[in-house]
Amino acid sequence: MASESERQGGGRLTHGVGLPLRRMPYWFIIILIFFLVTFYTIFSSEDYRDTLSFIAEGLVFTILITVIGYAIALVVGLVIGLGRVSRNPVIYTLATLYVEVFRGVPMLVIIYYARFVIVPWVATDLLNQPQILRNDLLIGAIPLALGYAAYMAEIYRAGIESVERGQNEAARSLGMSHVQTMRYIVLPQAIRRILPPMGNEFIAMLKDSSLLSAIGVPELTYWGRNRIAATYNTFLGWNTVAFLYLILSLILSLGVKWIERRSGSGHH
Amino acid sequence: MDTTNPTEPVETETIVHTLGKTIIQMEAITKRFGELVALDTVSLEVQRGEVLMIIGPSGSGKSTLLRCINYMEVPTSGRVTVDGIDMSRRRVNINKVREEVGMVFQRFELFPHLTVLENVTLAQRIVRKRKSGDAGEVAHDLLRKVGIPEKANNYPAQLSGGQQQRVAIARALAMQPKIMLFDEPTSALDPEMIKEVLDVMLELAREGMTMVVVSHEMGFARAAANRVVFMDQGRIVEMGEPDQVFDQPQHERTQLFLSKILH
Ligand SMILES: Nc1ncnc2c1ncn2[C@@H]1O[C@H](COP(=O)(O)OP(=O)(O)OP(=O)(O)O)[C@@H](O)[C@H]1O
Ligand SMILES: [Mg+2]
Repeated sequence: MASESERQGGGRLTHGVGLPLRRMPYWFIIILIFFLVTFYTIFSSEDYRDTLSFIAEGLVFTILITVIGYAIALVVGLVIGLGRVSRNPVIYTLATLYVEVFRGVPMLVIIYYARFVIVPWVATDLLNQPQILRNDLLIGAIPLALGYAAYMAEIYRAGIESVERGQNEAARSLGMSHVQTMRYIVLPQAIRRILPPMGNEFIAMLKDSSLLSAIGVPELTYWGRNRIAATYNTFLGWNTVAFLYLILSLILSLGVKWIERRSGSGHH
Repeated sequence: MDTTNPTEPVETETIVHTLGKTIIQMEAITKRFGELVALDTVSLEVQRGEVLMIIGPSGSGKSTLLRCINYMEVPTSGRVTVDGIDMSRRRVNINKVREEVGMVFQRFELFPHLTVLENVTLAQRIVRKRKSGDAGEVAHDLLRKVGIPEKANNYPAQLSGGQQQRVAIARALAMQPKIMLFDEPTSALDPEMIKEVLDVMLELAREGMTMVVVSHEMGFARAAANRVVFMDQGRIVEMGEPDQVFDQPQHERTQLFLSKILH
């Protein structure tokens, strides 16, 4: 909506010459320059190259944790989101309780809590499988998934509620059950609409995964800190870490913009 | 009183209705929305093969009455019996009854994420459990019947309003319902598209479909309906054959209403 007027405004300013000046993605150009400079520095400097190869393993771990955590949050979030629109008061209350609790606690505290309270209890007392505590991938993915399930549940809920009531009625009038209506009519439409915000949650989770360094999960930030502890080169270390996060989130946000444009450009 | 209507269907022969047993029975239906009484102890019977028109001013409870038939709206009190099934009984599977009662909405309500063909086959497959090939055959036949066989693979957004409404009718018919409910099926349409939808409805009436239609299309009422119900303030004020209700309304409120919609 805003971009529509923006586009028209930009068009008028440039009198139809080439790229509209106001719409030039200056931020992108600046970052591109920063990238090129950093790339140059990295590949012309032995130290940077060493640092990069040292923390590459952490980078892989960060991506893995985010993908796994996000996959879990997608499913758990959907279940809780459905609970949030349920007419059953017990289900609704439980879902709301979950959302309020996990949105009300900082991510770092969720991470500590999961690592030192929930997971030990589940792993040793309930499942009797203490080796879970040594699985860094799970230890990292679980708290992120728990927290993000709450945020994503709210996105699912908003998406479901954005589907017009008439759609539900049309489906029910054909004899479809409540579950069939959700599955075939409401959710497919809701999911199309929430793809962009869901993409943004992935980026947010990727960045929040750096908090896992606090409990010793060997992800990107953790390796970066170790590297700095070994080399005492704070500037170089954090530069590399920040650079890697930035590359990842920028690529992803370009992806989200692409999805946004596709889903925004009318229905089919 | 002049009741010619610009959208009157060309067919002038009136339809001979062969009426059967009672298929819809509404007994003392009251529907409240909080303080508001939308329906006030309304009773109505519809015979198999009837085409019943419901007219009345905005807010008089026409839609609510229609929606009580398939329990899209649950009456506050009273009893609805559809094809011998008492809808208020706890063990009744409402979805089963709805399979037999098609509904057409003012705003079409096609499923925008599905193609026309998928719109018409979905409920056949997942509710009637028909094989995809059989459902497709039924759908193609119906799309031909409503006059848009060539749009099967288009999405609803690519269709005109009149075409969308005809697909919506085909979608409801695909379930092979015993009753069709229409809630102002032409009032969201541009004038030039009204006729194409009314023609499809007229054809249905001719085939003997039991229809309950909320609409102010007089031409259609005269050609297709065997009974007209006038509602006001949640009650049935007057009921009779179309010509009788339109030309010799007995009640002052009916006269007032008719004079308003005709001028
Ligand atoms: N879901 C609802 N919640 C609250 N009030 C409602 C609801 N549905 C209908 N009503 C009210 O009930 C009354 C009857 O509504 P209804 O839709 O049946 O009227 P109608 O005769 O179909 O009117 P229109 O010609 O405008 O469609 C109106 O006053 C309306 O505001
Ligand atoms: Mg209405």
